[in-house]
Parts: sequence; C-alpha cells; structure tokens
Amino acid sequence: MQLDPTVITDSWQLFVTGAFITLQLSLISFVLGLLLAVPVAALSMSTHAVLNGIAILYLAIIRGVPFIAIVFIVHYGTATMGARTPAFWSGVIALTLFASAYFSEVIRSTVSALPPGQWDSGRVVGMSRLQTLRYIIIPQSLGPMIPPGVNVTIMMIKESSVISAITVGELTYQGLVVQGNTFAPFEVFITVALIYWGITLAFSRVAIWAERRIGASQRSIRPVGGIAERYLTLSRPKRRAEKS
Amino acid sequence: MGFDIAFVLAALPDVGAASLINAWMAIIICLFALATGIGLTLVRSLKIRAINAVVDIFISFVRGTPILIQIFLCYYVLPLVGLDLNPTTAGIVAISLNSGVFITENFRGALSALDDGPIEAATALALTPAMIWYLVILPQLLRRTLPMLVSEGTVILKNTALLSVITVTEGFRVAQQIGGATFRPFEPLIAVAICFLALNLILVGFGNLLERRNAAIVR
Repeated sequence: MQLDPTVITDSWQLFVTGAFITLQLSLISFVLGLLLAVPVAALSMSTHAVLNGIAILYLAIIRGVPFIAIVFIVHYGTATMGARTPAFWSGVIALTLFASAYFSEVIRSTVSALPPGQWDSGRVVGMSRLQTLRYIIIPQSLGPMIPPGVNVTIMMIKESSVISAITVGELTYQGLVVQGNTFAPFEVFITVALIYWGITLAFSRVAIWAERRIGASQRSIRPVGGIAERYLTLSRPKRRAEKS
Repeated sequence: MGFDIAFVLAALPDVGAASLINAWMAIIICLFALATGIGLTLVRSLKIRAINAVVDIFISFVRGTPILIQIFLCYYVLPLVGLDLNPTTAGIVAISLNSGVFITENFRGALSALDDGPIEAATALALTPAMIWYLVILPQLLRRTLPMLVSEGTVILKNTALLSVITVTEGFRVAQQIGGATFRPFEPLIAVAICFLALNLILVGFGNLLERRNAAIVR
C-alpha cells in the first residue's frame, strides 16, 4: 500500500473549511446546549411529579434515540411542519438538544452530590432559595462540573461528525467529498481522524489547564498495598511534582 | 404536508423487524466489547512499557476521534491491508473496538477503587496471578462497573444505527428507504426512533434487574 500525499495537499482548503465549520457547529451548540441544560436540570431536580416526568421523558428520548435519527428528525421534521431550516441550523438544533440532555445530567449530578446541609445552612443565615443557589450552591458546583462537562463537550465535537449525513459541509462531509473525488480512503480518513484528534486533544489540554486554575482538582490518592498495586494500577506510578 | 400518524403506524412493522438486526448486532458487539475491554485491561496491567505506550496512543486515538470516522476507517481502510470485511463485520469490529476502549478506561478507574485486602489474602494463599484476576478481581470489577456497562450497551445500540452509512440494512436504513419510496421521510424516522427507544428501555430494564440482584452482593 502506498500513500499519496497529493490527495491531501491538493485539497487542503476543504479540510480547513470543514474543520472550521465543525468548530462553528460545536461552539454554537455548546453555548445553546448549556443554556437549555439549565431549565432541563431544574426540571429533572424538581419534586413536582409532572415537571419531573417531562424531564425524564425528554432525557429518555434524547439519550435513547441514535443521534443520526435525531438529526434527520429535526431536519425533516421542520420541513414537514412547514418551516424548512438550512441544513446547518438543523444540525445546530440537533446538537443543541443532544448537548442539553448530557449537560443537564452533569449539572444535576454535581448539584445533588453537594451535602444536603448546604441548602439548610443557607436557610439558617436567612437566605432565600435563590440567594442560596447564587452564593452557596453555584460557587461550589462550578469547579466539579468542569471534568464531566469537558467529557460531554468532547462527545459533542465527535458527535457533530454525524451531521455530515444531512450535507452540512463540516469536516467529515469534506472528507467524504475528497474521498469521492480521489478514491483514496486511507489518506482522507486518517487525515480527518488526525484533525479531530488534534481538536479534542487541544480542547482537553485547555480544560485541564482551566481546571487547575480554578483549583478544582482535589484528587485524593488512596494508598494501595504493594502486592495489590500490581493488579490495581494499569501504569507505572509517575513521579508527581509536588506543588507548594 | 403535515404530520400523519397513519404513516408512522404503516412503517412500524418493517422498521421494527429491521431494528431487531440492530438488537442482534448490539448483543454481539457487547460481548466483543467486553472481551476487548477485559483484554486491554489485562495487557495494561502487565505494565510493559513499550506495549503500554502503544495501547495508550490507541486509547487516546479512539477516544479523540468520532465513531463514524472509525467505522469509515474499518470499512474502507482494512481492505487495503488485505482484510476485506463485509459492511456488517467492519461495523461490528469498529464499534467493538470503540466501546472496548471506553470499557477499559472505566475499568482502570474502578480498579483503583478496589480494596487491596482480598488480593493480598489471595496472594498469601499462593493463588497464581491468573487465578487472582479470574476469581478475585474480575467478579468485583464487573459488579462495580455494571451501571457503566449497561449505559455502554445503550451507546452500542445507538451506534449500530450509524452502520446505515456503510450500507448495512438495519432499522435506520430501512426507515430511510421507506421514506424515499413514499416521499414521506419524516414519519418512518419517528417509527425507528420509537423502536430504538423501546429497545433501549428493555436494555435499561434488564440492567436494573441485574443491579438489583447485585445490590445484595456488593458492599
């Protein structure tokens, strides 16, 4: 098997355009998804049976139906209802719905992992529920939300590749176009994969840096006996730089 | 054009029958993915530096790239190195490797939370490492990661819908074909969404049953 670099060098603009549209899709849906996740999380934490039921149904549908089906349902659904949306915006809507479900779960699990006494202490010092949320719950939740939030965001970036199926010109779509022109699947898909890998790696690096800045990583490392360590760790212990 | 529930109901039998193909593929992939996850975990536990470096890069690659691209790679690229797989097999390989990687990463986290006492006891009883893995560690590991394994199962089931793009005739592709033939693309999609939702509910219900049986044993 021989690699032909001209496949990539001849159409590098397509890959750049594709990567740019992938980032655009992901960024817009990230912001909208996060905004939508807040009410969804509020509903899913609600003690009201009907409101809670709505959230459970919403989450079951978004997380139980393949994303490719959601993309097509949004795209054809808006057309069927008489409001034909451009493919890009169908993609944004679908990815926003997807992100909102997973982000709301991140919010819900972080907030409910706080000790219940936090709400009570707010009451004791005479704060309203909203004030407790603003001054006690939210400041404590933001840090722990970062690692799972980053995972969801990376999932989102990867999932955006499926939007190529409704002919949005993002990275995967451009890869398929070049593949169709050149019949060189290896070069094309490896390149596309490497670009995605670069994007997600860069993003997780930034996230680790942000997490460290906020000081959320309070990892407690449990001591394990020498014999069991052979089995319970999968890599050699790295020398950790102790920071003051 | 408007939404017509009659077309959903009309598409449901064919789409439902085709969705069973997804269910079968998902069951096979679950077994392969679990085997891959356990295999990778055992290999990594040997802590051979060169092998672990390769495995780590592979894990990072699989976690950092879309499953759709991995499916394309298995379908279009493996034939070039002499492995000519039919679309179904290529898809099963791609999704199994993908989920296997996510499972081994989860195992790694769960391993570091296991109690070291039983392993020391087993070592004191002169059990071989293979016996310790099989009799002591894996049973605990599988029980503790059961919730994650069930949710990985739903991910696997959903990923089988992506195999429609490499021409596997499964539920989602059949829904698209019905949509193309009747010029009503929307209603068959609702039908296939209902099928996937139902399959996932069955899977989650089965998982809850297992978890309840486990609750007595764990802790």
